[in-house]
Amino acid sequence: LGHGSGGALTNQLLDSGVFTLLDNEFLHSRHDGAILDLSGKTAFTTDSFVISPIFFPGGNIGDLAVNGTINDLAMCGAKPRYISLGFILEEGLPVEELWEIIYTIKKATENAGVQVVTGDTKVVEKGKGDRIFVNTTGIGTVHPGAEIDAGRVTEGDAVIVSGTIANHGIAIMSQREGLSFETEVQSDTRSLASIIMKLLDEFGPEIHLLRDPTRGGVATVLNEIARQAKVGIEINENNIPIVPQVHGACEMLGLEPLYVANEGIFVGFVDAAHATDVVELLHGLPGSEDACIIGRVVDQHAGQVVMQSAIGGRRIIQMLPGEQLPRIC
Amino acid sequence: MKTVHLHIEGIVQGVGFRPHVYRLAQEFSLNGWVNNAPDGVHIEIQGKPASVQDFLNALRENPPKLSRIINRTETLVARPKFDGFQIIESKDNSEKSVLLTPDYAICTSCEKELFDPENRRFRYPFITCTNCGPRFSIIDGLPYDRIRTTMQPFNMCSECKNEYDDIYDRRYYSQTNSCPVCGITLSIAENGQQPCEVPDIFQRIYSALHEGKIIAVKGIGGFLLLCDASNKESIQLLRQRKGRPSKPLALMYPDEEMLLSDVETTPQQLEAYMSVEAPIVLFNCKGSMESDLQVNEIAPGLTSLGIMRPYAPLLALIARDFGSPLVATSANISGAPIIYNNEQALSSLSWIADLIITHDRDITLPEDDSVIKFTPEHGKRIILRRSRGFAPNYLARKSVSTDPVLSMGASLKSTFALQHGENTYVSQYLGDQDSFDAHESFKHTLGKLAGVLDFTPREILADMHPQYLSTILAEKLAKSHTIPVWKIQHHEAHFAAVLGENGLIESGEPVLGVIWDGTGYGTDGQVWGGEFFNYENHRFSRIGHLAYFAHILGDKMSREPRLSALSLLHGTIAEQAIKDCFNQQEWEYYHKVLRKGDNLQTSSAGRLFDAAACLAGLGYSTTYEGEAAVKLEALAKTASDKKNLRPIDFEQCMSPVYHLLRFHQFLTNKMPTADAAWQFHAGLVQAIHFKARSHNYRKVAFSGGVFQNDVMVDLLVSLMQEKFELYFHEELSPNDENISFGQLIHHGISSSA
Ligand SMILES: [Fe+3]
Ligand SMILES: [Mg+2]
Ligand SMILES: [Zn+2]
Ligand SMILES: [Zn+2]
Repeated sequence: LGHGSGGALTNQLLDSGVFTLLDNEFLHSRHDGAILDLSGKTAFTTDSFVISPIFFPGGNIGDLAVNGTINDLAMCGAKPRYISLGFILEEGLPVEELWEIIYTIKKATENAGVQVVTGDTKVVEKGKGDRIFVNTTGIGTVHPGAEIDAGRVTEGDAVIVSGTIANHGIAIMSQREGLSFETEVQSDTRSLASIIMKLLDEFGPEIHLLRDPTRGGVATVLNEIARQAKVGIEINENNIPIVPQVHGACEMLGLEPLYVANEGIFVGFVDAAHATDVVELLHGLPGSEDACIIGRVVDQHAGQVVMQSAIGGRRIIQMLPGEQLPRIC
Repeated sequence: MKTVHLHIEGIVQGVGFRPHVYRLAQEFSLNGWVNNAPDGVHIEIQGKPASVQDFLNALRENPPKLSRIINRTETLVARPKFDGFQIIESKDNSEKSVLLTPDYAICTSCEKELFDPENRRFRYPFITCTNCGPRFSIIDGLPYDRIRTTMQPFNMCSECKNEYDDIYDRRYYSQTNSCPVCGITLSIAENGQQPCEVPDIFQRIYSALHEGKIIAVKGIGGFLLLCDASNKESIQLLRQRKGRPSKPLALMYPDEEMLLSDVETTPQQLEAYMSVEAPIVLFNCKGSMESDLQVNEIAPGLTSLGIMRPYAPLLALIARDFGSPLVATSANISGAPIIYNNEQALSSLSWIADLIITHDRDITLPEDDSVIKFTPEHGKRIILRRSRGFAPNYLARKSVSTDPVLSMGASLKSTFALQHGENTYVSQYLGDQDSFDAHESFKHTLGKLAGVLDFTPREILADMHPQYLSTILAEKLAKSHTIPVWKIQHHEAHFAAVLGENGLIESGEPVLGVIWDGTGYGTDGQVWGGEFFNYENHRFSRIGHLAYFAHILGDKMSREPRLSALSLLHGTIAEQAIKDCFNQQEWEYYHKVLRKGDNLQTSSAGRLFDAAACLAGLGYSTTYEGEAAVKLEALAKTASDKKNLRPIDFEQCMSPVYHLLRFHQFLTNKMPTADAAWQFHAGLVQAIHFKARSHNYRKVAFSGGVFQNDVMVDLLVSLMQEKFELYFHEELSPNDENISFGQLIHHGISSSA
């Protein structure tokens, strides 16, 4: 990306392709903002993506930004409709890289059936950014059958994860640290929207809560819910789906997979009576073939997550504040 | 005529104190009364002044065998004439400050009766008297009386009642008194079925053990797992089912004679072994043994065995019947606390044990077996685990403060402590707080004990480590009680503990604290562990430490000694010596991590021992805490030359890298590994000695897990005792079990300063 004043470059950039590539009626009209016609319950979310590396096995910052926001909407039980796209570019970012990111964005939006309806681009001086920052904001229409609320999590609920855990974090780590494994570990970044919609079509209010375990991983999400819903959560280490490579990588890196980031799975709290049906449905949908019941909500240890460990014994899974300090004496 | 009121505090209940007093009063023809109160025993004794004096002297010189008196006040009072001498009913309306009586092993009189076919309690598995049996583990309230124990549901038959009422009987007022007619019943659960009573239980136990099966039996503080100690497959099966690959297992011998034929003993060890506390005592194996004990399966890589005597009549019957050594280990699953209630045992032990032997007397407070050892050269007693027989009393020297304070201890070897009036209680070892069940057991024991003692804290003390569950629980409790919580640095707490134990709080001269362990959260956010402190004028200051090195990959480094070795040796000539412990990718990645400037730093002595163990080829990862260091210690003990101390370079004596490279040099110079390991220990001891000398200390105190190490302690004593006053832990363990006590002392010191 060249030098010069931000303004000119931006217009040039937009003219030369972003709009063309992401073309739709909203962008076409070139208003100051998009005029949307929404009815019913609406979900609204925003997220900024400041990651390094920006390209990683299985994706890049572009689809990560789109899927991240789409998934946040999906976790509200909403069908994602429109998103906005904001770029902060650092001078010196190779143009080919930017195009690749935008191209990925296009593919991701198409896959998920959402439209980019407004956008913004700023270029900052070298050293004032880190190659590229992306902000996405999304709007979606809440599924009529959705009754997703932490307050609905109750004793007996099954805890489901929709796929193997820790893939994204390990993909990023191996890229960053130059680690290679027998089979490359890919990020799991994907849209969960259509899976969630099918789930809600089929099971509606039996789905009590959905969360995407991104930063902080499954452990953090479970702890948040245990506290918020004032319930105890019990999981079984043997039932947690994980790819052997990822497991091995975590072992080597000294990481606990439960704390490693994911981008393409969700954690669901589901009425116990329907749990196996839910998992069966998930198994038939692309992107959730590895779904598993990993635990349940119990009437003990409210606010705490306890894991039945593979070697026997039950371990308290803490909310991990910041860095992992050694405790073993 | 003279009347004296006596108030006696200490361990005075459930030890036959009142009948003892009664008998003395009779002997000297005195009148008055005695009773148990929550604050101890009260006596009023009346008669001729000379006889009263004789009585007081006799009671002072010859108190009941199991009692421990920590305070005694005599007041002259005016009373009308008493009519005879009476034992009067317990009162429970005053402050509950009596010390709790621990659980004691079966006494010789009961043991004799147990195996006497003529006795009415012949083979009755719950025989007790005022000199023995459970106390603490069955208590439900104070004062200690049958109705406030789990003996309450058992009504004594007339014969038992006669003994109970007969002041001249050994079972007079014995709250645990029972017999086959009126007592506790044993039942057996096989293959996951409900327990049932059968006449031939002991026959079945015997056969099961012979066939190599594993049995769970309800002991005093919880269930024990037993199997034939000469059966390799059984032991392997037990290890596999219990999820305990290599941590040493304790043994139980049928009699002393067999013990003497298998292990080397000292009078000190035997005394501890036979004591009323009956802990697991560590003994060195003899070169050749009488029994075909599977030593390598029982204590892999070690040369000592932990052995306890069958301290409960039920265990004595099983051990005697079997006639040869049994493995006897707490019934728990990897890291979880001992299982102590019947339902839990039936639900979770059925896939570890083939037979579960249980009974209908409940346990209220679970406890593991205590573990102690003696250093071979100087016979210093080291408590490795303080539990059954010892906890929860701590017979402190004068307490620093009498404010009601609760301290929450550390994490991996957790205990809590209470300051309750004049009394200090230090709980039994309560396991690893990361284990859910251990955390629950911690809360249960704390709740129960606080309830029994009627204790409400006004302040709570905790470790500074932000991720210790004990600290998190402390914050929760403080919030719900709206009382303050104070955080105390880990190693300062260790130091305070050893100062407190040795009465050094008011020491007029400075004391050097050598506090060496594996991990403690430092005030600078780094991981401390090889610390030197000064204590002077009620103030602690850190005056030195082993030089920092990188602490990488969190707890993984504590589990894998190879990472400590790499952290210390990378970039040195010795680095190649450990290359085989890694694959290519690990090797490269860990180097990359070490090259980063932002790693956590540590001064951990524990990690230095790990590194040395790795270099000595003792394995690059561990399955239990302290494994590497324990193996290095065992190796050093077998050194052929323990005289020629190789000098160290004092300039570099605080450098862990220096000590490790020196060790490496010995190894490459073909010094036998055992001798090199011994020299490594000696190098560190010289470094400590140098530190004490160069700062002109006279008093030096030691605490932290490193001082569980025999070789270290013996060398310190040999090298330093002439010129220095050395202080070690006596009643408490040097490891993190003492943190709760240390927190109490530390807080007492800083609030009085
Ligand atoms: Fe410690
Ligand atoms: Mg998000
Ligand atoms: Zn007895
Ligand atoms: Zn009876």
